[in-house]
Amino acid sequence: MSERKARGARKSDRPAADPLKEKRDAFLHTFFKRGAQLTDEIVEDNRKLHDKIESLEAENRSLKTQLASDRAIRDALRKIDELEREKAKLLFTVEEKEVVTGQITNRFAEVESELESFAYLYVASFQLHLTLDVKDVLRQIRELLGQLVGAQSSALYFHDAERRRLEPVVADGVGLEKVAPIPLQETTPGGPVEVAIERAFLTGVAHVDGSDGPLAPAACVPLMLGERALGVIVVFELLEQKPRFVTVDRELFKLLGAHAAGAIVGAYHFGTSHERIPTPAELRGITG
Amino acid sequence: MPTAATYTCLVVEDSPMMRQLLVLALSRLKNLKVTEADDGVDGLRKLAGGKFDIIITDINMPIMDGLKLVKRVRSDPTHRLVPIIIITTEGSSEDRSRALQLGANAYITKPIQAPQVIAKVKELLKIEG
Repeated sequence: MSERKARGARKSDRPAADPLKEKRDAFLHTFFKRGAQLTDEIVEDNRKLHDKIESLEAENRSLKTQLASDRAIRDALRKIDELEREKAKLLFTVEEKEVVTGQITNRFAEVESELESFAYLYVASFQLHLTLDVKDVLRQIRELLGQLVGAQSSALYFHDAERRRLEPVVADGVGLEKVAPIPLQETTPGGPVEVAIERAFLTGVAHVDGSDGPLAPAACVPLMLGERALGVIVVFELLEQKPRFVTVDRELFKLLGAHAAGAIVGAYHFGTSHERIPTPAELRGITG
Repeated sequence: MPTAATYTCLVVEDSPMMRQLLVLALSRLKNLKVTEADDGVDGLRKLAGGKFDIIITDINMPIMDGLKLVKRVRSDPTHRLVPIIIITTEGSSEDRSRALQLGANAYITKPIQAPQVIAKVKELLKIEG
């Protein structure tokens, strides 16, 4: 056994301890206990502070992220504004282009329609003046009315000056025998058809019905030779599939009104003169 | 099979005025060569003498009408597949049905509108644009 152990053994064998020592021991015990407590408290505080720092750091990071996010949002909003402005510009441009496209489309349709009118007028004029045979001229007029205008029934009246009346010369879609002559400037020439025909002849103004309804006559076109009316073309009815007159029909009526009478009279005189052609001298005599 | 550039069309119409109008309208198709015939018999004669990619015919014609022509074309092994457009003043549904039953591919009533005829020709010949 060592000496220290021996001394300890001897101590415990001794009687009750000294009060001072006890006080000292109590003090030391209390002191160390308090120290331990303080240490624990300090450790706890330290831990709390550490936690607080961590929390603050986390908050800081969050704030930084939020700040960055706010900036990104502001940037995004700015970008959206720019894009909205760009979109508005583009929409405006598109609208402008659409207007231009619409105008071009309308113009194209107009040009198409004009081309068609020209084609009709060219063909009508070409065929009308292709012949100096009265029969052929009258046939061309009938074809023009039937094929180009779409007349279901029509007639051509010529003025009989001696008998003061309009005499039917040819008719289509209705028997010629059923088309009665129209006396001129009598008290009442008859029904609305006769009234319209007489008025067109006497005034030299065409009547072209603008309605969709089955009005009779659909059109009356005075046949003019200069200022003089020689007859009237009458369209009684249009074909079933043609509900109303269109622009080109009015142009064709103008053409007929101005050219048909001359073509008929010219062809008639050419035929009755045995197709005699004037000599250059005769033409010079007339023009000179 | 027609080449990419050229098609041939036979126009059978007794009215010189309508024929001229049709030819004028079809002249807007640059690659279409048009041959004219006065009536059905003349049409058959022209068909016998050449090859056509499309036929446009009237119905009411002297000597041989358009419906007889359609019938004859459809029974002819050489031309039975050639598309036929009827152009006529006959606007009733019975006339239309009859023409289509006989083998016509399209039925257009007079007075014609050139763009309508051109569109139908392009459709039947499968011409783009």
